[in-house]
Order: sequence, then structure tokens, then C-alpha cells
Amino acid sequence: MAFCQRGETKYFEILVRRYMEKAFHIALNFTRNTEEAKDLSQDAFLRAFTRIKQFDGRSGFYTWFYRLVVNICLDFTRRKNKISWEPLDAISDGAPERPELTDVSSLPEDVTMAREAKRRADRTLETMPNKQRTAFLLRNHQGLSIADIAKVMKTTEATVRVYLHRAVSALRQSLLEFV
Amino acid sequence: MSERRIALENACAEFEADLVLHYYGEGQEAERRRVESHLETCQRCVRFMDDLDGLLPRMSKTTELPQNFWDNYYREVVHKLNQEREGISWWRSLIPSFGGWTIPAFGTAVVVVLAVALVFGKGDWSVRSNATQQENIPQEILSDSGRLEFFGSLDLLESLPTLENMDGSRLESSEVRSL
Repeated sequence: MAFCQRGETKYFEILVRRYMEKAFHIALNFTRNTEEAKDLSQDAFLRAFTRIKQFDGRSGFYTWFYRLVVNICLDFTRRKNKISWEPLDAISDGAPERPELTDVSSLPEDVTMAREAKRRADRTLETMPNKQRTAFLLRNHQGLSIADIAKVMKTTEATVRVYLHRAVSALRQSLLEFV
Repeated sequence: MSERRIALENACAEFEADLVLHYYGEGQEAERRRVESHLETCQRCVRFMDDLDGLLPRMSKTTELPQNFWDNYYREVVHKLNQEREGISWWRSLIPSFGGWTIPAFGTAVVVVLAVALVFGKGDWSVRSNATQQENIPQEILSDSGRLEFFGSLDLLESLPTLENMDGSRLESSEVRSL
């Protein structure tokens, strides 16, 4: 880390290797768009590189870096004034379709229902307050502990628990008929 | 479906937040024991947990992207980092060559020069402003000195009432003197 803080890119490149997939997937959780997720997560690395001297080592690098990524994503969604929560079948960049909620059955009616469930879930996440969504995505999609989410969001663990509970409740309510 | 909805809506409200944390493996040991003992007796909460088990993992499944995507991603980040480093280094390299004291010294010198120019340079600036006034006269007028005189005479016509007043006042003063 000290080498990175001296501006030596070859050491920073190790961090890029280590965190690029996580950074990309966080951005993808927020944007639902591969190209935007790529641009935003790459911007996060550049911002981390230029601000690496501000990293004081009190928290882990990934906590500090996650915060950068999340803030960039939230700024982006605010600027855009909407989140491009495209349906999964709209992502057409050569990547295989996401399995997620759509991959439940080969029966046409089940597939249709699963897609509708996915759309509903996306819509619920879209309309959710930013803090609830962030807490939910970091816990459910990224597997961060509540303690780490609290550091990333600069809030208390109790508050994160509330955000998480509300987010899950909202999703459960919206998907009641599909469960 | 309707039975299911009722069952979900009637899940124990006082345990719901703890069940979400329990699902994510969070919470203190005492809380976990309390939830587990409750789950042994409450079928509604068991169903709630089953629903979370069925719903949330599917939402968090990530897209499997091909290796060449990550190779390109890494290359792009490294390229951007190098550009960033070069962008930073050209002006940072100037600072050590001059030494740390040069920046405040340079700033002070600039302030002194500006102050001197403001105090002693007023005459020059007024001349310069006259020159700029002349520059503002269109070329077609400047090229013909007769036209310039014509416009001069217009100024004279505009000031005729003033001159008449002046003449009147002189006449009056001369009359007073003669008396």
C-alpha cells in the first residue's frame, strides 16, 4: 500500500487485479448495464489511484474502495435521474443471460412468470431509497458483513440492519405472489 | 396463492428483522439462539425463512463473463492509469526542481508587481484607453478626414445650447462690468 501511495502504478495494478470483478459487479448491481458498469468501476480505480494518499489505513482498503465505487454509482444514478433497470433480456452485449430469477424452469409460463418476478424485483429496487438499496446490494449481492457495510456507508451497524430489513421486506412484499 | 399471501403477511412482526439478520448469518449469539428456538415452534417464520432462501440467492447471482472481457478490462484500466500518471507527473516534476519555497515567493512577487503597476501605471493606462477609443472609430470614417470633421461639427451642434448659455452669461457679466 505504501508503494501505491508513492504513485507506483505497478503495485496499484495488483489491487486492480484483485478488486476489478467486485468493483464491476457492484457497479452492475446499480446500473444494470454492462458498459456503464465498466466505465464507472474503471473510474473508481482512477479515483482511488489519485486519492490513494487519503487512504489512512484505519479501515481495510476494500472498505475504502467500496465506498468510492458506491459513491460513484450513486452520483451516476442521481445524474441520470433514473436507474437503467433494464429487464435481463435487454442486456445484449454478448454476455450470457443472467440466471438469477429467470432460470427456474423451461416451461414457457414459468419462464414468463419468472421474468415478471424479475421485473418486479428490479422495479422495487429502483424505487427503493438509495441507502436501503445500497445496504441490500452490498449484503445480498456482494456478501459484505453488516459491520463492513456500516464502514462503507459511514453509519452505524444498527442503521444498516434497519436498511436491510426494510429492503428485504419491500422485496418480499413486491414478490409475494411469485414466491 | 391467497393462503400463501396470508401466511407471509402474518409472519411474526417482532421476529421479522431478526429473521432477516439470521438469514444473512448476522447478529449476536444470544439473538441467534432466540431466533432458532422461535423457529422450532413457529411454522410461519419457518416459511418466511424458506421464502428468503428461495428468493434472495437467485437475486444475487452474478453474470459469468468471459476471460477476455476481464483481460480487456484490466488493460483498459492500466492504460488509463498510465495516462493519469503522465498527466499528474508533468506538473509535479516542476515543483521539486524549484524547491518548496519558490511558490510563495513567486506569489509574493506577482502581488508586488501588480501593486506597483496599479500605483505607477495609471497614466499609461489612461493613454491606452484614449488609444482604444480611437481604435473604436470605424475605418471608413477615419480614412476620410472630412467626415471626421463633419462628425466633429455634429458634436459642436449638439453643444450649441451650452455655448449660447455661456455667451449669455459672458454678455451679462460684461454688461455688469460696463455699468
